[in-house]
Amino acid sequence: MDLLVHYLSLATKAIFIENILLAYFLGMCSFLAISKNVEASMGIGKAVIFVNGITVPLNWVIKTYLLDDGALSWTGIESLASVDLSFLTFICFIATIAALVQFVEMFIDKFSPSLYNSLGIFLPLITVNCSILGASVFMDERGYTLGESAVFGVSAGVGFYLAIVCMAAIRFKLRYSNIPDGLKGLGITMILTGLLSMAYLSFSGIQL
Amino acid sequence: MLRKLLDNVEQKILSNEKLKKFHPLHDALDTFLYSTNTKTEHAPYVRDAIDLKRTMILVVLALLPAFFFGTYNVGLQSPEVVDKDFLTCFLYGLKIVLPMYLIVFAVGGLFEAIFAVIRGHEINEGFLVTGFLIPLTMPPTVPLWMLAVATIFGVVIGKEIFGGTGYNIFNPALTARAFLFFAYPSYMSGNKPWIAPLDGLSQATPLLQKSSNLDITYSWWDMFYGYIPGSVGETSTLAILIGAFVLLITGIGSWRVMLSTCLGLIFTSTLLNQLTGVSDNPMLGLTALEHFVMGGFAFGMVFMATDPVSSAQTNKGRWFYGLLIGFMAIVIRCINPAYPEGMMLAILFANAFAPLFDYFVIQSHVKGRQLSYEE
Repeated sequence: MDLLVHYLSLATKAIFIENILLAYFLGMCSFLAISKNVEASMGIGKAVIFVNGITVPLNWVIKTYLLDDGALSWTGIESLASVDLSFLTFICFIATIAALVQFVEMFIDKFSPSLYNSLGIFLPLITVNCSILGASVFMDERGYTLGESAVFGVSAGVGFYLAIVCMAAIRFKLRYSNIPDGLKGLGITMILTGLLSMAYLSFSGIQL
Repeated sequence: MLRKLLDNVEQKILSNEKLKKFHPLHDALDTFLYSTNTKTEHAPYVRDAIDLKRTMILVVLALLPAFFFGTYNVGLQSPEVVDKDFLTCFLYGLKIVLPMYLIVFAVGGLFEAIFAVIRGHEINEGFLVTGFLIPLTMPPTVPLWMLAVATIFGVVIGKEIFGGTGYNIFNPALTARAFLFFAYPSYMSGNKPWIAPLDGLSQATPLLQKSSNLDITYSWWDMFYGYIPGSVGETSTLAILIGAFVLLITGIGSWRVMLSTCLGLIFTSTLLNQLTGVSDNPMLGLTALEHFVMGGFAFGMVFMATDPVSSAQTNKGRWFYGLLIGFMAIVIRCINPAYPEGMMLAILFANAFAPLFDYFVIQSHVKGRQLSYEE
């Protein structure tokens, strides 16, 4: 029961209070590019949830059993027990993410060609999406356990999903607006992101 | 005679290439003094600037009780007023509130006019409502230059960059309020700002007393009538309810939004009441009725949440929109120790999600129609 409450508060924190998009502004590139269309936003949101939910715990395993100082002691080989490979952290995280995104791409191509078409170039772009790497780095910095990192990965993705779908719906409504020429497109989206994160500030300060 | 003069001026403006740009200014004056040829027949949801004009004036009428009581209350709360009869208090309040209005209308109107001239759209009474709302949401001690900055932010960033009245996503008056709240928090929250003058007596609002675990020194009826410190227009739930009545019988304010906001409040506060034993957070024990009369809840529900532009556009969407406001307002009040009041942020948050509700309602409607067509 305590564990469940703990996981729930961790999830709420990652989705609302420390929203990866609107509190840390990570993953802005795909956020700005895809939020033109609600359907595609839902697609990339799901992709981010999926990729985050797998990469964050996977990176935890890699970090804990391969890269940390003395992490290799489980092999039983004495010369490996004192090796510290943590300088490879970022490279390994990126490699894991890249490999996994490739896998997701093939998977979606096979099972949902329409989604694959609507995501287009943006699915491979998740590879370099800061919010994916960011989630893994946060997991590392905050010293989460395996269970925590799985919860955190999924809920960081859910936070991304909510923010991007909300933004897409707003931009859908904005199609009828009479925006000054210089601000059309990215300009107004940047300003909206600011206003949106102001609305999300309502959560900042909640202690869980 | 005035009619002739206006027509003359109009012809001159329209015949001169250089002056043509300034036609919106003339048009605003003209339609303000005389009624236009087209009139609103029904609810204001037709997104047409001319149709909006007359309904916006009704909103201002609905705001008048809150305005008059608020002005009186500023004087009533102030320690500078010794003689507490109505006229003295009202005049003292007017000395504070009137400059606020002058600043808001001067600065806001100027920027509205600049945008109207450059972008060639009309000035309309949308700003009249925004301008009337802004001072009512401010503490009486707010410095006037701050008010000016907030008004500019609300008018330009909250509305004009989207194309003017009818196109905005967030309520401009709330955007202005939130801007000040985050930019100058010490002037907008805490014990100090609620009683004029600024350096005089400090007195906590009921919400602040409760959140800092003190006993509330005001009775429920005091809070209902509005004899409490707070922002200018928000204190008297009674005056606000009179305004709500006007909005409801004229069909300008959506009853769905008001009702569902109340439902959200009742549901959330009852839920949180169950937790009083678990946590020592004093806010959890407040009942729904107390939440309703404290702070800006009633004011936000009646005048901010029902804004036909920034709220959800579909009827089903309005239910979800209102529920979200009621829920968020209480959650922020009770669970977030950083802010004792949550109504402003709750409405902004729901404004952000309103297009999403609309999108889902429309999509489900489309799907339903598709299904029945296929059968």
